Amino acid sequence: MRNAAIVLLLMVVAAAPTMAQTKPESLTGVERLEGDWVRIDPNGSGDFGGLASTFTPASLTPQGNAAMEAGQRQAAAPRGPAFTENARHDPGVPYIVVSRPCGAGPFGGGALGINPDSGGIHFVVHKDEIIFAPERGGFRHIYMDGRKHPDLTRWTPTASGHSVGRMENGELVVDTIGITPGLVTAGGWRTVETRLTERFVVSPDGKHLTINYRWEDPALYQKPHEYHYEFDRLPAGSYALEYWCDASDPAEQESVTPPSQ
Amino acid sequence: MTILHRIVLIASALVITGAATAAQTGQPSPRDISGFWALFSDGKKVPPAKLLPRVTKAMLDLHARQDVHAIRWCNPIGLPMIMDSAAIDIRQGPTAIFMAPESSLVPRYVYLNRKHVSADIYDPSTSGDSVASWEGDTLVVDTIGFHPTHGVTSIPGGGFRTDKTHLVERYRLLQNGEVLSVQFTWTDPTVFSAPHTYEFRYRRLPATYEPVSTWPCDPYDQTRAEFLGDPAPFRAEKR
Repeated sequence: MRNAAIVLLLMVVAAAPTMAQTKPESLTGVERLEGDWVRIDPNGSGDFGGLASTFTPASLTPQGNAAMEAGQRQAAAPRGPAFTENARHDPGVPYIVVSRPCGAGPFGGGALGINPDSGGIHFVVHKDEIIFAPERGGFRHIYMDGRKHPDLTRWTPTASGHSVGRMENGELVVDTIGITPGLVTAGGWRTVETRLTERFVVSPDGKHLTINYRWEDPALYQKPHEYHYEFDRLPAGSYALEYWCDASDPAEQESVTPPSQ
Repeated sequence: MTILHRIVLIASALVITGAATAAQTGQPSPRDISGFWALFSDGKKVPPAKLLPRVTKAMLDLHARQDVHAIRWCNPIGLPMIMDSAAIDIRQGPTAIFMAPESSLVPRYVYLNRKHVSADIYDPSTSGDSVASWEGDTLVVDTIGFHPTHGVTSIPGGGFRTDKTHLVERYRLLQNGEVLSVQFTWTDPTVFSAPHTYEFRYRRLPATYEPVSTWPCDPYDQTRAEFLGDPAPFRAEKR
Protein backbone atom coordinates (compact mmCIF):
# COMPACT_ATOMS: atom_id res chain seq x y z
CA MET A 1 0.00 0.00 0.00
CA ARG A 2 2.94 2.27 0.66
CA ASN A 3 3.85 1.83 -2.98
CA ALA A 4 0.31 2.74 -4.04
CA ALA A 5 0.51 5.95 -2.05
CA ILE A 6 3.79 6.84 -3.65
CA VAL A 7 2.38 6.12 -7.11
CA LEU A 8 -0.64 8.33 -6.38
CA LEU A 9 1.61 11.11 -5.16
CA LEU A 10 3.81 10.82 -8.21
CA MET A 11 0.74 10.94 -10.48
CA VAL A 12 -0.43 14.17 -8.83
CA VAL A 13 3.02 15.73 -8.99
CA ALA A 14 3.51 14.62 -12.60
CA ALA A 15 0.12 15.92 -13.69
CA ALA A 16 0.95 19.58 -13.09
CA PRO A 17 3.90 20.00 -15.47
CA THR A 18 2.26 17.68 -18.02
CA MET A 19 -0.83 19.87 -18.15
CA ALA A 20 1.33 22.94 -18.36
CA GLN A 21 3.07 21.65 -21.46
CA THR A 22 0.19 20.00 -23.32
CA LYS A 23 0.99 19.48 -26.98
CA PRO A 24 -2.16 19.84 -29.12
CA GLU A 25 -1.23 16.83 -31.28
CA SER A 26 -1.26 14.65 -28.18
CA LEU A 27 -4.92 15.42 -27.46
CA THR A 28 -7.81 13.14 -28.38
CA GLY A 29 -11.18 13.51 -30.09
CA VAL A 30 -12.21 16.92 -31.31
CA GLU A 31 -9.57 18.53 -29.11
CA ARG A 32 -6.93 17.38 -31.62
CA LEU A 33 -8.04 20.33 -33.71
CA GLU A 34 -6.81 22.75 -31.04
CA GLY A 35 -3.86 24.92 -31.93
CA ASP A 36 -2.27 26.73 -34.83
CA TRP A 37 -2.33 25.73 -38.52
CA VAL A 38 -1.28 27.13 -41.87
CA ARG A 39 -2.66 26.30 -45.29
CA ILE A 40 -0.27 24.54 -47.66
CA ASP A 41 0.03 23.98 -51.39
CA PRO A 42 0.52 20.20 -51.55
CA ASN A 43 0.47 20.06 -55.35
CA GLY A 44 3.19 22.62 -55.95
CA SER A 45 0.69 24.77 -57.81
CA GLY A 46 2.67 27.92 -57.08
CA ASP A 47 -0.17 29.95 -55.60
CA PHE A 48 -3.63 29.41 -54.21
CA GLY A 49 -5.19 30.49 -57.50
CA GLY A 50 -3.21 27.75 -59.23
CA LEU A 51 -4.24 25.31 -56.52
CA ALA A 52 -7.92 26.17 -56.96
CA SER A 53 -7.57 25.57 -60.70
CA THR A 54 -6.91 21.89 -59.90
CA PHE A 55 -10.32 21.55 -58.23
CA THR A 56 -13.35 20.35 -60.15
CA PRO A 57 -15.14 23.53 -61.24
CA ALA A 58 -18.58 24.22 -59.85
CA SER A 59 -21.56 23.21 -62.01
CA LEU A 60 -23.84 26.17 -61.69
CA THR A 61 -27.48 26.37 -62.73
CA PRO A 62 -28.51 29.22 -65.06
CA GLN A 63 -29.69 31.08 -61.96
CA GLY A 64 -26.35 30.40 -60.30
CA ASN A 65 -24.45 31.71 -63.31
CA ALA A 66 -26.57 34.86 -63.42
CA ALA A 67 -26.06 35.47 -59.69
CA MET A 68 -22.30 35.03 -60.00
CA GLU A 69 -22.00 37.35 -63.00
CA ALA A 70 -23.98 40.03 -61.19
CA GLY A 71 -21.83 39.60 -58.13
CA GLN A 72 -18.61 39.81 -60.10
CA ARG A 73 -19.76 43.04 -61.78
CA GLN A 74 -20.42 44.49 -58.35
CA ALA A 75 -17.05 43.31 -57.04
CA ALA A 76 -15.25 44.84 -60.01
CA ALA A 77 -16.81 48.25 -59.39
CA PRO A 78 -14.17 50.92 -58.75
CA ARG A 79 -15.58 51.88 -55.37
CA GLY A 80 -16.55 49.81 -52.38
CA PRO A 81 -15.00 48.34 -49.30
CA ALA A 82 -11.42 47.15 -49.48
CA PHE A 83 -11.04 45.24 -52.67
CA THR A 84 -8.06 43.78 -54.46
CA GLU A 85 -7.83 44.31 -58.18
CA ASN A 86 -7.01 40.96 -59.70
CA ALA A 87 -6.68 42.10 -63.30
CA ARG A 88 -3.40 41.64 -65.19
CA HIS A 89 -1.24 44.76 -65.30
CA ASP A 90 1.35 45.72 -67.89
CA PRO A 91 4.99 46.12 -66.79
CA GLY A 92 5.90 49.71 -65.99
CA VAL A 93 2.32 50.85 -65.50
CA PRO A 94 1.63 51.66 -61.84
CA TYR A 95 -1.61 50.56 -60.23
CA ILE A 96 -3.17 50.56 -56.78
CA VAL A 97 -3.03 47.10 -55.22
CA VAL A 98 -5.78 47.66 -52.65
CA SER A 99 -7.94 50.71 -53.07
CA ARG A 100 -9.40 50.83 -49.57
CA PRO A 101 -7.10 48.92 -47.24
CA CYS A 102 -8.00 47.67 -43.78
CA GLY A 103 -11.70 48.17 -44.34
CA ALA A 104 -14.55 46.00 -43.20
CA GLY A 105 -14.52 44.31 -46.57
CA PRO A 106 -13.69 40.76 -47.50
CA PHE A 107 -11.62 40.01 -44.42
CA GLY A 108 -14.23 41.19 -41.94
CA GLY A 109 -16.45 38.95 -39.91
CA GLY A 110 -14.51 35.73 -40.30
CA ALA A 111 -14.67 35.32 -44.09
CA LEU A 112 -11.14 33.93 -44.00
CA GLY A 113 -12.47 31.20 -41.74
CA ILE A 114 -14.63 30.06 -44.64
CA ASN A 115 -11.85 30.46 -47.19
CA PRO A 116 -8.47 30.51 -45.40
CA ASP A 117 -5.54 32.13 -47.16
CA SER A 118 -1.82 32.00 -46.33
CA GLY A 119 -2.29 33.55 -42.89
CA GLY A 120 -2.33 31.24 -39.91
CA ILE A 121 -5.58 29.86 -38.52
CA HIS A 122 -6.18 29.07 -34.87
CA PHE A 123 -8.62 26.75 -33.11
CA VAL A 124 -9.64 26.87 -29.48
CA VAL A 125 -11.80 23.86 -28.64
CA HIS A 126 -14.37 23.96 -25.86
CA LYS A 127 -17.13 21.41 -25.36
CA ASP A 128 -19.87 23.97 -26.09
CA GLU A 129 -18.17 26.02 -28.80
CA ILE A 130 -15.16 25.83 -31.07
CA ILE A 131 -13.47 29.03 -32.12
CA PHE A 132 -12.01 29.10 -35.64
CA ALA A 133 -9.94 32.27 -35.94
CA PRO A 134 -8.08 33.28 -39.09
CA GLU A 135 -5.10 35.45 -38.28
CA ARG A 136 -6.01 38.34 -40.56
CA GLY A 137 -9.32 39.20 -39.04
CA GLY A 138 -12.56 37.99 -37.59
CA PHE A 139 -13.43 34.59 -36.17
CA ARG A 140 -16.07 31.92 -36.44
CA HIS A 141 -18.20 30.57 -33.61
CA ILE A 142 -18.94 26.87 -34.17
CA TYR A 143 -21.60 25.89 -31.66
CA MET A 144 -21.28 22.35 -30.28
CA ASP A 145 -24.06 22.60 -27.69
CA GLY A 146 -26.81 21.14 -29.86
CA ARG A 147 -28.45 24.42 -30.82
CA LYS A 148 -30.19 24.74 -34.19
CA HIS A 149 -29.65 27.32 -36.89
CA PRO A 150 -31.73 30.49 -36.49
CA ASP A 151 -34.65 31.26 -38.75
CA LEU A 152 -32.96 32.95 -41.74
CA THR A 153 -35.78 35.50 -41.96
CA ARG A 154 -34.53 36.82 -38.60
CA TRP A 155 -30.81 36.48 -39.30
CA THR A 156 -28.50 39.20 -40.54
CA PRO A 157 -26.09 37.53 -42.98
CA THR A 158 -22.44 37.61 -41.98
CA ALA A 159 -19.17 36.77 -43.73
CA SER A 160 -18.93 33.49 -41.81
CA GLY A 161 -22.62 32.70 -41.34
CA HIS A 162 -24.07 30.60 -38.53
CA SER A 163 -22.26 27.35 -37.80
CA VAL A 164 -23.20 24.31 -35.74
CA GLY A 165 -20.92 21.32 -35.31
CA ARG A 166 -21.08 17.67 -34.33
CA MET A 167 -18.72 14.70 -34.23
CA GLU A 168 -19.17 11.91 -36.76
CA ASN A 169 -16.81 8.94 -36.82
CA GLY A 170 -14.13 10.94 -35.06
CA GLU A 171 -14.41 13.88 -37.47
CA LEU A 172 -15.78 17.33 -36.77
CA VAL A 173 -18.65 18.08 -39.15
CA VAL A 174 -19.75 21.72 -39.35
CA ASP A 175 -22.97 22.88 -40.97
CA THR A 176 -23.18 26.55 -41.97
CA ILE A 177 -25.88 28.77 -43.49
CA GLY A 178 -26.55 32.51 -43.43
CA ILE A 179 -23.36 33.65 -45.18
CA THR A 180 -23.32 36.88 -47.14
CA PRO A 181 -23.54 36.37 -50.93
CA GLY A 182 -20.17 35.99 -52.61
CA LEU A 183 -17.71 33.97 -54.62
CA VAL A 184 -16.88 30.38 -53.71
CA THR A 185 -13.59 28.72 -54.60
CA ALA A 186 -13.40 27.07 -58.05
CA GLY A 187 -16.19 28.94 -59.75
CA GLY A 188 -18.90 28.71 -57.16
CA TRP A 189 -21.34 31.23 -55.73
CA ARG A 190 -23.25 31.40 -52.49
CA THR A 191 -26.28 33.14 -51.06
CA VAL A 192 -27.70 33.30 -47.56
CA GLU A 193 -29.60 30.04 -48.18
CA THR A 194 -26.59 28.10 -49.50
CA ARG A 195 -25.53 25.31 -47.14
CA LEU A 196 -21.85 24.62 -46.48
CA THR A 197 -20.79 21.38 -44.87
CA GLU A 198 -17.18 21.14 -43.72
CA ARG A 199 -15.49 17.98 -42.46
CA PHE A 200 -12.31 18.52 -40.45
CA VAL A 201 -9.95 15.54 -40.57
CA VAL A 202 -6.80 15.55 -38.45
CA SER A 203 -4.12 13.03 -39.44
CA PRO A 204 -3.22 10.24 -36.99
CA ASP A 205 0.01 12.00 -36.02
CA GLY A 206 -1.92 15.23 -35.34
CA LYS A 207 0.28 17.28 -37.65
CA HIS A 208 -1.89 17.58 -40.73
CA LEU A 209 -5.42 18.86 -41.23
CA THR A 210 -7.74 18.47 -44.20
CA ILE A 211 -10.92 20.50 -44.50
CA ASN A 212 -13.39 19.02 -46.98
CA TYR A 213 -15.89 21.56 -48.32
CA ARG A 214 -19.32 20.72 -49.78
CA TRP A 215 -21.58 23.53 -50.99
CA GLU A 216 -25.22 22.68 -51.65
CA ASP A 217 -27.96 24.86 -53.06
CA PRO A 218 -30.41 23.50 -55.64
CA ALA A 219 -31.04 27.03 -56.91
CA LEU A 220 -27.35 27.63 -57.65
CA TYR A 221 -25.69 24.25 -58.17
CA GLN A 222 -26.53 21.37 -60.50
CA LYS A 223 -24.74 19.09 -58.05
CA PRO A 224 -22.92 19.66 -54.76
CA HIS A 225 -19.68 21.59 -55.23
CA GLU A 226 -16.80 19.89 -53.42
CA TYR A 227 -13.09 20.52 -52.86
CA HIS A 228 -10.63 20.38 -49.99
CA TYR A 229 -7.89 22.45 -48.41
CA GLU A 230 -4.87 21.11 -46.59
CA PHE A 231 -3.00 22.51 -43.61
CA ASP A 232 0.09 21.76 -41.54
CA ARG A 233 0.28 22.26 -37.81
CA LEU A 234 2.57 25.16 -36.91
CA PRO A 235 5.63 24.37 -34.79
CA ALA A 236 5.36 24.30 -31.00
CA GLY A 237 5.68 27.77 -29.53
CA SER A 238 3.83 29.42 -32.42
CA TYR A 239 1.35 32.12 -31.52
CA ALA A 240 -1.34 34.16 -33.22
CA LEU A 241 0.26 37.17 -34.85
CA GLU A 242 -1.66 40.41 -34.69
CA TYR A 243 -2.53 41.57 -38.17
CA TRP A 244 -1.87 45.28 -38.06
CA CYS A 245 -3.33 47.38 -40.82
CA ASP A 246 -3.88 51.10 -40.29
CA ALA A 247 -6.12 52.56 -42.96
CA SER A 248 -4.78 56.02 -42.12
CA ASP A 249 -1.26 55.03 -43.18
CA PRO A 250 -0.65 56.48 -46.67
CA ALA A 251 1.78 53.63 -47.37
CA GLU A 252 -1.16 51.23 -47.35
CA GLN A 253 -2.46 52.85 -50.52
CA GLU A 254 0.79 53.24 -52.37
CA SER A 255 0.78 52.11 -55.96
CA VAL A 256 2.83 49.24 -57.32
CA THR A 257 4.63 49.19 -60.64
CA PRO A 258 5.00 45.72 -62.13
CA PRO A 259 8.64 45.15 -63.15
CA SER A 260 9.66 44.28 -66.68
CA GLN A 261 9.73 40.54 -67.27
CA MET B 1 -6.55 -0.46 7.64
CA THR B 2 -3.41 1.59 7.89
CA ILE B 3 -3.28 5.37 7.64
CA LEU B 4 -1.75 5.01 4.19
CA HIS B 5 -4.71 2.84 3.12
CA ARG B 6 -7.10 5.53 4.28
CA ILE B 7 -5.21 8.36 2.58
CA VAL B 8 -5.20 6.52 -0.72
CA LEU B 9 -8.89 5.60 -0.49
CA ILE B 10 -9.99 9.10 0.52
CA ALA B 11 -7.87 10.76 -2.15
CA SER B 12 -9.19 8.40 -4.83
CA ALA B 13 -12.79 8.90 -3.70
CA LEU B 14 -12.41 12.68 -3.74
CA VAL B 15 -11.02 12.66 -7.27
CA ILE B 16 -13.72 10.32 -8.59
CA THR B 17 -16.56 12.04 -6.72
CA GLY B 18 -15.48 15.49 -7.79
CA ALA B 19 -15.37 14.59 -11.46
CA ALA B 20 -18.66 12.71 -11.33
CA THR B 21 -20.44 15.47 -9.45
CA ALA B 22 -19.31 18.16 -11.88
CA ALA B 23 -20.38 16.03 -14.83
CA GLN B 24 -23.76 15.10 -13.38
CA THR B 25 -24.89 18.44 -12.00
CA GLY B 26 -23.82 20.47 -15.02
CA GLN B 27 -22.41 23.01 -12.61
CA PRO B 28 -19.66 25.11 -14.14
CA SER B 29 -16.24 23.89 -13.21
CA PRO B 30 -14.41 26.47 -11.09
CA ARG B 31 -11.51 26.01 -13.48
CA ASP B 32 -13.42 26.76 -16.68
CA ILE B 33 -14.17 30.44 -17.29
CA SER B 34 -15.81 29.78 -20.67
CA GLY B 35 -19.06 31.52 -21.43
CA PHE B 36 -20.65 34.66 -22.76
CA TRP B 37 -20.02 37.46 -20.28
CA ALA B 38 -21.52 40.94 -19.97
CA LEU B 39 -19.99 43.93 -18.25
CA PHE B 40 -22.49 46.39 -16.85
CA SER B 41 -21.92 49.78 -15.27
CA ASP B 42 -22.20 48.29 -11.76
CA GLY B 43 -19.48 45.79 -12.55
CA LYS B 44 -16.57 48.20 -12.42
CA LYS B 45 -14.62 49.26 -9.34
CA VAL B 46 -11.78 51.46 -10.49
CA PRO B 47 -9.75 53.64 -8.10
CA PRO B 48 -7.57 56.44 -9.45
CA ALA B 49 -4.10 55.34 -10.50
CA LYS B 50 -1.01 56.67 -8.75
CA LEU B 51 1.05 58.17 -11.55
CA LEU B 52 4.69 59.22 -11.59
CA PRO B 53 5.38 62.98 -11.65
CA ARG B 54 6.87 62.57 -15.14
CA VAL B 55 3.43 61.61 -16.48
CA THR B 56 2.07 65.00 -17.47
CA LYS B 57 -1.39 66.04 -18.52
CA ALA B 58 0.00 66.61 -22.01
CA MET B 59 1.11 62.95 -22.16
CA LEU B 60 -2.28 61.72 -20.98
CA ASP B 61 -4.02 63.97 -23.52
CA LEU B 62 -1.83 62.64 -26.33
CA HIS B 63 -2.75 59.05 -25.48
CA ALA B 64 -6.43 60.02 -25.32
CA ARG B 65 -6.17 61.54 -28.81
CA GLN B 66 -4.36 58.48 -30.12
CA ASP B 67 -7.17 56.35 -28.71
CA VAL B 68 -9.72 58.29 -30.75
CA HIS B 69 -7.52 57.82 -33.83
CA ALA B 70 -7.43 54.04 -33.27
CA ILE B 71 -11.21 53.88 -32.96
CA ARG B 72 -11.75 56.22 -35.90
CA TRP B 73 -9.62 54.02 -38.20
CA CYS B 74 -10.98 50.69 -36.93
CA ASN B 75 -7.58 49.57 -35.69
CA PRO B 76 -7.23 46.65 -33.27
CA ILE B 77 -8.00 48.10 -29.84
CA GLY B 78 -6.25 45.55 -27.60
CA LEU B 79 -5.90 45.68 -23.85
CA PRO B 80 -7.27 47.13 -21.66
CA MET B 81 -10.28 48.17 -23.76
CA ILE B 82 -10.85 44.67 -25.14
CA MET B 83 -11.91 43.65 -21.61
CA ASP B 84 -14.09 46.74 -21.18
CA SER B 85 -16.71 45.63 -23.67
CA ALA B 86 -20.42 44.99 -23.34
CA ALA B 87 -20.30 41.28 -24.20
CA ILE B 88 -17.30 38.99 -24.37
CA ASP B 89 -17.10 35.40 -25.56
CA ILE B 90 -14.48 33.51 -23.56
CA ARG B 91 -13.63 29.94 -24.59
CA GLN B 92 -11.14 27.86 -22.68
CA GLY B 93 -9.48 25.07 -24.64
CA PRO B 94 -6.86 22.57 -23.52
CA THR B 95 -3.93 24.80 -24.51
CA ALA B 96 -5.31 28.32 -24.90
CA ILE B 97 -8.12 30.65 -23.91
CA PHE B 98 -9.78 32.80 -26.54
CA MET B 99 -11.38 36.11 -25.59
CA ALA B 100 -13.38 38.11 -28.10
CA PRO B 101 -15.54 41.12 -27.42
CA GLU B 102 -18.42 41.73 -29.78
CA SER B 103 -17.00 45.16 -30.52
CA SER B 104 -13.72 44.08 -32.11
CA LEU B 105 -12.56 41.96 -35.02
CA VAL B 106 -9.31 41.20 -33.25
CA PRO B 107 -9.46 38.71 -30.37
CA ARG B 108 -7.07 37.97 -27.56
CA TYR B 109 -5.31 34.68 -26.79
CA VAL B 110 -4.08 33.47 -23.41
CA TYR B 111 -1.77 30.48 -23.61
CA LEU B 112 -1.94 27.72 -21.00
CA ASN B 113 0.87 25.53 -22.26
CA ARG B 114 3.92 27.73 -22.55
CA LYS B 115 5.97 30.55 -21.13
CA HIS B 116 6.34 34.00 -22.66
CA VAL B 117 7.75 34.12 -26.16
CA SER B 118 11.27 35.51 -26.16
CA ALA B 119 11.26 39.29 -26.49
CA ASP B 120 13.87 38.85 -29.23
CA ILE B 121 11.28 37.38 -31.57
CA TYR B 122 7.93 38.54 -30.20
CA ASP B 123 6.21 41.14 -32.32
CA PRO B 124 4.65 43.61 -29.83
CA SER B 125 0.88 43.79 -30.10
CA THR B 126 -2.11 45.64 -28.71
CA SER B 127 -2.97 42.79 -26.32
CA GLY B 128 0.59 41.63 -25.69
CA ASP B 129 1.75 38.08 -24.98
CA SER B 130 -0.44 36.43 -22.33
CA VAL B 131 0.33 33.19 -20.49
CA ALA B 132 -1.64 31.74 -17.62
CA SER B 133 -1.65 29.16 -14.87
CA TRP B 134 -4.05 28.14 -12.13
CA GLU B 135 -3.47 28.98 -8.47
CA GLY B 136 -6.23 26.99 -6.82
CA ASP B 137 -9.43 28.19 -8.47
CA THR B 138 -7.88 31.46 -9.61
CA LEU B 139 -6.54 31.79 -13.13
CA VAL B 140 -3.52 34.08 -13.08
CA VAL B 141 -2.78 35.66 -16.46
CA ASP B 142 0.56 37.36 -17.01
CA THR B 143 0.96 39.74 -19.95
CA ILE B 144 3.95 41.58 -21.39
CA GLY B 145 4.93 42.56 -24.93
CA PHE B 146 2.57 45.47 -25.41
CA HIS B 147 2.94 47.81 -28.36
CA PRO B 148 3.47 51.32 -26.97
CA THR B 149 1.23 53.20 -29.40
CA HIS B 150 -0.98 50.78 -31.32
CA GLY B 151 -4.61 50.48 -30.31
CA VAL B 152 -6.33 52.10 -27.36
CA THR B 153 -3.59 52.59 -24.77
CA SER B 154 -5.33 54.48 -21.95
CA ILE B 155 -5.91 52.47 -18.78
CA PRO B 156 -9.05 52.80 -16.61
CA GLY B 157 -8.28 54.94 -13.58
CA GLY B 158 -5.44 56.77 -15.31
CA GLY B 159 -2.20 56.13 -17.09
CA PHE B 160 -1.46 54.23 -20.25
CA ARG B 161 0.40 51.16 -21.39
CA THR B 162 3.89 51.23 -22.87
CA ASP B 163 6.39 48.61 -24.04
CA LYS B 164 7.53 48.33 -20.41
CA THR B 165 4.07 47.57 -19.03
CA HIS B 166 3.34 44.36 -17.13
CA LEU B 167 -0.23 43.26 -16.47
CA VAL B 168 -1.36 40.54 -14.08
CA GLU B 169 -5.03 39.49 -14.16
CA ARG B 170 -6.68 37.20 -11.62
CA TYR B 171 -9.85 35.48 -12.85
CA ARG B 172 -12.26 33.86 -10.35
CA LEU B 173 -15.79 32.53 -10.72
CA LEU B 174 -18.17 33.79 -8.04
CA GLN B 175 -21.80 33.12 -7.12
CA ASN B 176 -21.93 29.56 -8.42
CA GLY B 177 -20.28 30.55 -11.67
CA GLU B 178 -22.74 33.30 -12.56
CA VAL B 179 -20.20 36.09 -12.01
CA LEU B 180 -16.64 36.32 -13.30
CA SER B 181 -14.34 38.54 -11.25
CA VAL B 182 -11.23 39.85 -12.94
CA GLN B 183 -8.70 41.80 -10.91
CA PHE B 184 -6.32 43.78 -13.09
CA THR B 185 -2.95 44.93 -11.74
CA TRP B 186 -0.84 47.16 -13.96
CA THR B 187 2.78 47.99 -13.27
CA ASP B 188 5.09 50.13 -15.36
CA PRO B 189 8.23 51.88 -14.06
CA THR B 190 7.69 54.72 -16.51
CA VAL B 191 4.02 55.40 -15.69
CA PHE B 192 2.86 54.21 -12.26
CA SER B 193 4.34 55.07 -8.84
CA ALA B 194 2.55 52.03 -7.37
CA PRO B 195 0.81 49.00 -8.86
CA HIS B 196 -2.57 50.05 -10.21
CA THR B 197 -5.28 47.53 -9.32
CA TYR B 198 -8.97 47.53 -10.19
CA GLU B 199 -11.68 44.92 -10.58
CA PHE B 200 -14.34 44.19 -13.18
CA ARG B 201 -17.20 41.76 -12.52
CA TYR B 202 -18.90 40.23 -15.55
CA ARG B 203 -22.31 38.54 -15.46
CA ARG B 204 -22.84 35.28 -17.28
CA LEU B 205 -25.20 35.56 -20.24
CA PRO B 206 -27.49 32.63 -21.18
CA ALA B 207 -25.64 29.70 -22.74
CA THR B 208 -27.86 30.09 -25.81
CA TYR B 209 -26.64 33.65 -26.36
CA GLU B 210 -25.84 34.47 -29.99
CA PRO B 211 -23.08 37.08 -30.17
CA VAL B 212 -23.34 39.73 -32.81
CA SER B 213 -20.75 38.51 -35.25
CA THR B 214 -18.44 41.50 -35.20
CA TRP B 215 -19.56 45.02 -35.82
CA PRO B 216 -18.95 46.42 -39.29
CA CYS B 217 -16.35 49.07 -38.53
CA ASP B 218 -15.80 51.02 -41.72
CA PRO B 219 -12.97 53.59 -41.71
CA TYR B 220 -14.32 54.93 -45.01
CA ASP B 221 -17.74 55.82 -43.59
CA GLN B 222 -17.54 59.60 -44.02
CA THR B 223 -20.40 60.43 -41.66
CA ARG B 224 -18.81 58.34 -38.92
CA ALA B 225 -15.41 59.87 -39.64
CA GLU B 226 -16.77 63.39 -39.33
CA PHE B 227 -18.53 62.50 -36.08
CA LEU B 228 -15.38 61.08 -34.47
CA GLY B 229 -12.79 63.40 -36.01
CA ASP B 230 -9.11 62.51 -35.90
CA PRO B 231 -7.30 64.48 -33.18
CA ALA B 232 -4.05 62.53 -33.73
CA PRO B 233 -3.53 62.09 -37.48
CA PHE B 234 -1.19 59.36 -38.70
CA ARG B 235 2.52 59.80 -38.05
CA ALA B 236 5.05 57.30 -39.32
CA GLU B 237 6.77 55.39 -36.51
CA LYS B 238 10.47 55.88 -35.94
CA ARG B 239 12.39 52.73 -36.82
